[in-house]
Amino acid sequence: MSRTEQLSASFRDPSGFLFTDNGILYRQINRAYSNDYARLMDSGLYAKLVKASLLIPHVESDQLPAESESAFKVIQPERVPFISYPYEWSFSQLKDAALATLSIQKRALKLDMSLKDASAYNIQFVRGKAMLIDTLSFEIYKEGEPWVAYKQFCQHFLAPLALMAYRDVRLCQLLRVYIDGVPLDLASGLLPASTKFNFGLLTHIHIHAGAQKRYSDKVVAPRKGGMSKQALTGLIESLEATVKKLTWKPAGTEWGDYYENTNYTDSAFEHKKQLVREWSIEKKPALVWDLGGNTGVFSREAASLGAFTVSFDIDPAAVEQNYRTVKNQKEQNILSLVLDLTNPSPAIGWDNNERDSFGARGPVDMALALAVIHHLAISNNVPLPQLANFFAAHCKWLVIEFVPKSDSQVQKLLTSREDIFPDYTREGFEAAFSSCFTIHKSELVRDSERALYLMEVK
Amino acid sequence: MHYTPLPYLDPGSGSFIIQIAIAALLGLGVALRASWSSIKKYFGMKPKSEDEDTDSDNVQD
Repeated sequence: MSRTEQLSASFRDPSGFLFTDNGILYRQINRAYSNDYARLMDSGLYAKLVKASLLIPHVESDQLPAESESAFKVIQPERVPFISYPYEWSFSQLKDAALATLSIQKRALKLDMSLKDASAYNIQFVRGKAMLIDTLSFEIYKEGEPWVAYKQFCQHFLAPLALMAYRDVRLCQLLRVYIDGVPLDLASGLLPASTKFNFGLLTHIHIHAGAQKRYSDKVVAPRKGGMSKQALTGLIESLEATVKKLTWKPAGTEWGDYYENTNYTDSAFEHKKQLVREWSIEKKPALVWDLGGNTGVFSREAASLGAFTVSFDIDPAAVEQNYRTVKNQKEQNILSLVLDLTNPSPAIGWDNNERDSFGARGPVDMALALAVIHHLAISNNVPLPQLANFFAAHCKWLVIEFVPKSDSQVQKLLTSREDIFPDYTREGFEAAFSSCFTIHKSELVRDSERALYLMEVK
Repeated sequence: MHYTPLPYLDPGSGSFIIQIAIAALLGLGVALRASWSSIKKYFGMKPKSEDEDTDSDNVQD
């Protein structure tokens, strides 16, 4: 029996929607969009964007539409291995997503098409690159019309990037609260006054915010022919120049230089890598989550064996470094993301159902939890049985490192507080995790007091 | 006068107006650059390539 289901995030645009049928992802294109789709394909724009790795490839499918009354065509897009959201990206990831959007718009304009939305949620990282995943974002360009997605671009990309660059990189988290991007009056108020001397930020954020306020209760219908194509190109180029000039250097955050500050010897580090590698070879996971992955050293052990590996870390500096490595090395199967394990991404949006929670995007074949348990159990007071339940809900295989109290890193955590963790011992850890996992292997990490475990969920 | 069809997202009145004003200014720049490159071309100088289709300029590389 066929099971057809419309995706909960895909409801806003009347051009079509995503649905799954027996687990395969399809996109229905509605008749209302047929001319725009034909132009996208016939003008050569689709082929150019796919060749430049800026648009997700698709094939036209014989699959029956999910809503036949309005249907024009069904396409099957390439599946994105892991859907991530802008509030989980580092600075350069959001910047590259912004530049990809503008590059697409410039190419589209040359072939008389234009983006009708500029949502950061339409961009995903595929094979290490920021790519548009919404094939229905294009419309036939009409001479004289302004860019309908200008406001959205400024809210989804320019405002958070400017705040991250000029105020604090953690302000990216505002995107978690404001699903349609950072309101421009808020961004304008939070940005330092000095940004008014930056022409791009002055116009696209500060003056733009002022205009929004001034015209908020007025209906405006601009004259046709109000904006030439040349003017529109100038606008896109100005946004591009403004975004390109925004920079952020990862420094001074929590763990960006973590590996230079550990109590690890080289031999312990190598042994840990070797165990992760051996166990990955043995279990052949297709999808791995490295929880607390820092700059991705251990993620790369799993990824080099072919697993698509998502490397999560709480520190935006570590995630930024990881992403820069992905770019420099042209790595295709590592995605670095910002995530606080003690407060992971919730489900947000309309009916709390538009953007998936962290957990809803799993479970995965294998999770790595290396040098992270003491932060959860001791810094965040999570009892060991609850930790076991948490990991068991998200993976089939778990590679987890136990860091004992005698370890200097744990001692550091305990110096300024009472030790209320009598069960935090190897025995206590094994007992707690045995309730939901079968412990297959445990090895002491060479030259250290730590132990690495391979467990399978029961 | 309204455009047909209307966009499915609200582009915002203020955003529309300010965009037209800013773009009019910026469009001048594009026009000046275009004339400058045709002047250079007239004198046999090679204009700077602005072809976005060569993929080599993919911003992420």
